[in-house]
Amino acid sequence: MVPTTREPRRPLALPGLLPALRRLPTQSGLLARAGAGGLLALSALPAVVVVGVLCLTGLGVPLLPPLMRGVRRLAGMERRRVGAVLGGPPVPERYRPVEGSPVARARGLLTDRAGMRDLCWLPVHALTGTLAASLGLGLALAAVNDVTMPLWWWAIPGRSPSGVGFAVDSWGRAAVMLPIGVLVAVLACALIPPLLRGQARLSRRLLTPPANRSVAERLAEVTASRAAALDAHAAELRRIERDLHDGTQNRLLAVVMHLGLIERALERDPEQAPPLVRRARQAATGALDELREVVRGIYPPILDERGLDGAVAALAARSPVPCVVDTACLGRAPAAVETAAYFIVAEALNNVARHSRAEHVGVRLANEEGTLVIEVEDDGRGGADERAGSGVVGMRRRADALDGRVTLRSPAGGPTRLRAELPCGW
Amino acid sequence: MRVVIAEDDALLREGLTLLLAGEGFEVVAAVDNGTDFLAAVDTHAPEATVVDVRLPPDFRDEGLRAAIEARRRRPGLPVLVLSAYVEDRYAAELLADGRGAIGYLLKQRVGDVEEFADALRRVAAGGTVMDAEVVGQLLVRRRSDDPLRELTPREREVLALMAEGRSNTDLARLLVISEGAVNKHIRNIFAKLGLAPDEAGHRRVLAVLAYLNG
Repeated sequence: MVPTTREPRRPLALPGLLPALRRLPTQSGLLARAGAGGLLALSALPAVVVVGVLCLTGLGVPLLPPLMRGVRRLAGMERRRVGAVLGGPPVPERYRPVEGSPVARARGLLTDRAGMRDLCWLPVHALTGTLAASLGLGLALAAVNDVTMPLWWWAIPGRSPSGVGFAVDSWGRAAVMLPIGVLVAVLACALIPPLLRGQARLSRRLLTPPANRSVAERLAEVTASRAAALDAHAAELRRIERDLHDGTQNRLLAVVMHLGLIERALERDPEQAPPLVRRARQAATGALDELREVVRGIYPPILDERGLDGAVAALAARSPVPCVVDTACLGRAPAAVETAAYFIVAEALNNVARHSRAEHVGVRLANEEGTLVIEVEDDGRGGADERAGSGVVGMRRRADALDGRVTLRSPAGGPTRLRAELPCGW
Repeated sequence: MRVVIAEDDALLREGLTLLLAGEGFEVVAAVDNGTDFLAAVDTHAPEATVVDVRLPPDFRDEGLRAAIEARRRRPGLPVLVLSAYVEDRYAAELLADGRGAIGYLLKQRVGDVEEFADALRRVAAGGTVMDAEVVGQLLVRRRSDDPLRELTPREREVLALMAEGRSNTDLARLLVISEGAVNKHIRNIFAKLGLAPDEAGHRRVLAVLAYLNG
């Protein structure tokens, strides 16, 4: 049987050219980011070499942390870009925490495999990033150039723009450029996606931590997170002790002292007693206030009464910046995780209210594959500096203690996005 | 009697000032940190001082160190150290110069105004006033071969009151016994601890505490 009707011919010989063309700007943007990253990597290479050589003499040791921070940021940009290109989450990173004396920090940085992976990736990206970007973007620009040439070739004074192997000096030749341009565009559409993906896959391979970590590596991580947990615990105890001592205990002492004064006043001159009674009462009220704050700081009662979603809703209701909470995908988590989550949200909302000048803030809590994920995003001015006492350090400490992590993205001009991941351990 | 106070909590500082003024002391300066305390001691040459152990900036033992430094500059400067909790090691550090005129009390003792004012007067007169808690700590952590275990409960009471800087007359009154009985207890204590009998004021307390800390 011969079909009686034929499929309508596609407008162009190559199927799907139009969608491909539509995707081209996005893909060009991603290529441009690869190129920018490649150029940065290229310019970082001499610094890596110089610091590396200086480290042999010991002079480079203080320069190591800032250098590795820079490389980490560069690799972090690439991890996110690769995620965007290949349509998935950013490439995971697994740096070992680095702390202690300068020498210990340097040793930690030099033995951190994740950092070393970054260093291996750096020269490769310097080469492939710039090459892929220049090739792909060159093709795209050439296509635009050629296709549009009939519109503007005559406006170039003096020398005529060069076509493909000939100078465009007449309308005829300019007209020839049109089909050539279309061909180049087709070529660009065909080449750019595999170029982009190929380069991204290479980056992903170089940057992804190996799936089967050695027991030693895993043990080092667990040890680090346990140390962080102990530190966090000690810091927490110290804070509670300080709160109790400076607040509650002193208020109660003031009560005792004023009661003593009242006793004396009643013996000698009862008319002096009423103002002292008033002060004693104020001090006792103050002690109760302080005690309530301390208790709230140890374990927020509302968490017990209403669960994490209810507790976060209460935080949102108190937020001066209008706050929308999404807890649709939130399940139960261990009490320690929920407590940490509560304080992280509280601190994040506190930061938003104090620093961001935002008009809206969104909080999302969800359980994703055994991890409690917290996202707080505002539409403020961004540029949050986590070193400027913004409480991010405290959040990190809480997250570290649970083997979790906190990432803060806050470009100048906003938006600010905080993401915390707390493994639930079940 | 001119007094300098160092206490960082404003409410407690005011309360202390009020309390001491009511008991006939003249508070010439009330400061909230160790540096100002040293300056005030230099300026006013007080007859007694009251210092909180925890002071800014770090809220650890700045007050204690300021007190020791003040006594280094002015040997024998009467210092009454107040603290939310007592630590026998701190007592030992305060007593280390062997000059007496040292008090170390829990802050909550200010509730008994009369007793507190009396303690400050005893310190100003060169006596030693240790909180009952300090003595309690020392008695608790004795080893099994310790001669303190030989003390009878009554003798322990006497020892604790001695550490609080009480005179023999006070001891007799507080324990409702005769001064002769007090003297007998003290002789027994010194004998059991292997100390030379010494009736001179705070020295016996220092000797006991030095022995206990050793």
